[in-house]
Amino acid sequence: MEQTQWKRSSKMWMVLACLMMSFFSSIESLSVTVNDVECVYEYVLYEGDTVSGNFVVVDHDIFWGSDHPGIDFTVTSPAGNTVNNIKGTSGDKFQFKAPTHGMYKFCFHNPHSTPETVSFYIHVGHIPSEHDLAKDEHLDPINVKIAELREALESVTAEQKYLKARDARHRHTNESTRKRVVFYTVGEYLLLAGVSALQVIYIRRLFSKSVAYNRV
Amino acid sequence: MGKMMLLLSTLGISLCLFSLIPSALGIWLTLPPSGTKCVSEEIQSNVVVLTDYVVIPDSSSLHPTIGAKVTSPYGNNLYYKENTTHGNFAFTTQETGNYLACFWVDPHYLGGKEISVSLDWKTGIAAKDWDSVARKEKIEGVELELRKLEGAVEAIHENLLYLKGREAEMRVVSERTNARVAWFSIMSLGICIGVSGLQLWHLKRFFQKKKLI
Repeated sequence: MEQTQWKRSSKMWMVLACLMMSFFSSIESLSVTVNDVECVYEYVLYEGDTVSGNFVVVDHDIFWGSDHPGIDFTVTSPAGNTVNNIKGTSGDKFQFKAPTHGMYKFCFHNPHSTPETVSFYIHVGHIPSEHDLAKDEHLDPINVKIAELREALESVTAEQKYLKARDARHRHTNESTRKRVVFYTVGEYLLLAGVSALQVIYIRRLFSKSVAYNRV
Repeated sequence: MGKMMLLLSTLGISLCLFSLIPSALGIWLTLPPSGTKCVSEEIQSNVVVLTDYVVIPDSSSLHPTIGAKVTSPYGNNLYYKENTTHGNFAFTTQETGNYLACFWVDPHYLGGKEISVSLDWKTGIAAKDWDSVARKEKIEGVELELRKLEGAVEAIHENLLYLKGREAEMRVVSERTNARVAWFSIMSLGICIGVSGLQLWHLKRFFQKKKLI
């Protein structure tokens, strides 16, 4: 009697534990200011996990349109190999299958001296494979389906975060345009009035008695 | 007595299994030996934020300590702690804006090396306490997972509505700027003509006064 009770309670704990472990996935979404090189580390639990994410350079105070070449993005595996490398971009999405488990390094490199703010989002997703199913008899095929559903929803969330970051950048540009329109046009008016006043004053001076007006 | 032993043993087994999951489920940052490193996120109001940070112990025997600070977009200090190796903090956002979490190495630490901090920053649906929901509604297993998925879908829907609202705001600003560009350019032409007309009138009067014309 006690044996079966033991088996039942341990079964429940095993199921819960396996569910917890198989559905583990981490999500991080943050902004960081990149002066030269900024690296963020994320731990990938299982080999074969899909690591996906995106990043957008938000604080882009460019004066002319093609001024800043963008930032470089590199992903290094725990063994030291470069898994992913994107150069000179102002924002992109990435996705790769982790070749090994361990600590992955995501680095942003800013080739210019002006600090940039990068908003990034990294997601490590794990779907239990057939091997996991065979290893643990308490794992149902339904858990695989639920994990796949979860990953699909996470990809939608990732896309939304990317859109949100892009929207922030667009809003920044819009605000800058609005300010430029107001300040530059008011400045232009004042400059126009000032220059024409200076012109009048100069011509008046040319004809004044103190400067020999006979010359003119 | 036997039942207690069984319960304890199952608890022990489950704890062992749970401890296999690394305690650092977030990203790692490296703090420079001097200076502050800050991470920020733009969060709407009325969103639950859970922060958890742990200093990753070095292979050396020195025990580095860090200071941590979280500020709201209006500059209020939401959390401040110095000389610590770990901590956690939860708050609900009052304002929409950029929330900043800053970390620095304690000046008393003389290691001179970079320190790794594991930061777990969860907002919104990721910060929801599913254990308490499971206990309150007595659901577990597949039903709990489906409930989590439902929560994620609702969060996606909310995010979509938020993005839609933002796009509408930006469209208003864009259209206003567009109208302003047109008006200001025409006004600039008008000012140009007006100012040069004033010039001509003034100079004509001046020359007439000087009896040159």
